[in-house]
Amino acid sequence: MSVPILKQGDVLIASIQSALSDQDLIQLREDFAAKIGQFRTRGVLIDVTALDVLDSFATRTLRGIAYVAKLRGATAVVVGIQPEVAFAMVQLGLALDGVATALDLEEGLDYLKKAVNRSPGHGG
Amino acid sequence: MAEQLEQHESLALMHQMGLNSGAIDRRKQIVGLTPADVTRIATIKDVVLPRVDSIAAAFFNHLARLDEARSLLENRALFEKAKRLKVDHLHGLVSGDYGADYVEQRIELGLLYAAAGLDTRVFLGAFLELLKHMGTQIMAQADSAPLDAFEAFMSLKKVAFFDLGLIVDVLVFERERIIRQQQEAIRELSTPVLQLRNRLLLLPIIGVIDTHRARLITESLLEAIRTNRAKVVVMDITGVATIDSRVANHILQTVTAARLMGARVIVTGISAPVAQSLVSLGIELGGLDTVGDLRGGIEQAERNLGYRVVQSAAADTRDDAAS
Repeated sequence: MSVPILKQGDVLIASIQSALSDQDLIQLREDFAAKIGQFRTRGVLIDVTALDVLDSFATRTLRGIAYVAKLRGATAVVVGIQPEVAFAMVQLGLALDGVATALDLEEGLDYLKKAVNRSPGHGG
Repeated sequence: MAEQLEQHESLALMHQMGLNSGAIDRRKQIVGLTPADVTRIATIKDVVLPRVDSIAAAFFNHLARLDEARSLLENRALFEKAKRLKVDHLHGLVSGDYGADYVEQRIELGLLYAAAGLDTRVFLGAFLELLKHMGTQIMAQADSAPLDAFEAFMSLKKVAFFDLGLIVDVLVFERERIIRQQQEAIRELSTPVLQLRNRLLLLPIIGVIDTHRARLITESLLEAIRTNRAKVVVMDITGVATIDSRVANHILQTVTAARLMGARVIVTGISAPVAQSLVSLGIELGGLDTVGDLRGGIEQAERNLGYRVVQSAAADTRDDAAS
């Protein structure tokens, strides 16, 4: 199942609705890499509210997406990690280092707005 | 209705104590109860059954002589019920069937003793008196074959000790139940998550952080972050006396989990001795946002959230000057 990436202003939004295979995750990262350049995106938001588990590969891919976004001049934020998921991740030592997190979509967009205003990004 | 409720209670306790058929069999093995014993008990059944009332009386008469048993004897309802259950017990004792139903009856009686506040040592004294009385009766009736009667009585004693094990376990379990409840209460009381301002939570931690408690703290904090939509959490550990690498790890995990939910955690109240010991133990907490005291932490959190606390003109600075 591939995840649609929605464009909202200069932010790209992907909402993951069901557990993804490793292949789907890699596909998502590639889609982001392409679209960030195409739309001159300043912010990337990934919503994982619907997920009840985030394993090490998913965590690594999320970090990968954040890194790709940064290299392409955008800021990434992961939103909607559930309490149970957060607890399980910490137990497994998966900390999502270097990736911004926010409570939900609203918070995430708010964070991106502020981050985009601070960074030079694509300019203009 | 009440009977049903009590039966339900003893069944529930049986379950809690893990008394399934395997555990019951194991208990029989422990006292060495075999089918041969059951056969021998059958031979003295006719001696015991007509004397059930007098044997039960021996038990309660012994209790009546003890001050320690007064709590049971003075509770009319419980006492009557204990008498009834004891007579049932003696019938069961020679019945030859010591399965789950029999165990449940023992538990019911044990629960009654626990409710009446009968101490283990008092119960044991009365139970010994009961065995003595029963043994005397059995031996008195065995003119021709005293050895057979003695062996039959020893078989009966195995069942009696099987019962004893159950009753004592119930008494101990019930006593520990209070301890467990209190521990639970202490744990719950000691992990409050307080809302200080809109989107600002305070998590004061007092006492010892072990793995179980760290889990509870983290879980309640994460839930609170979600319900209050918190952005900043001030975690005050002034009340944590010692921090070793395990505790530090727990704190780090809680902070990381909160961060995954988009909340920033400011840790305050690391005292001078704690800071010194962290350094000498080589524990790295540098990744945390730390502020000296709770006051500073709250001020920092308010700045992060964009609050500006302004003292009104009416209240002058006398309070500060006084302190």
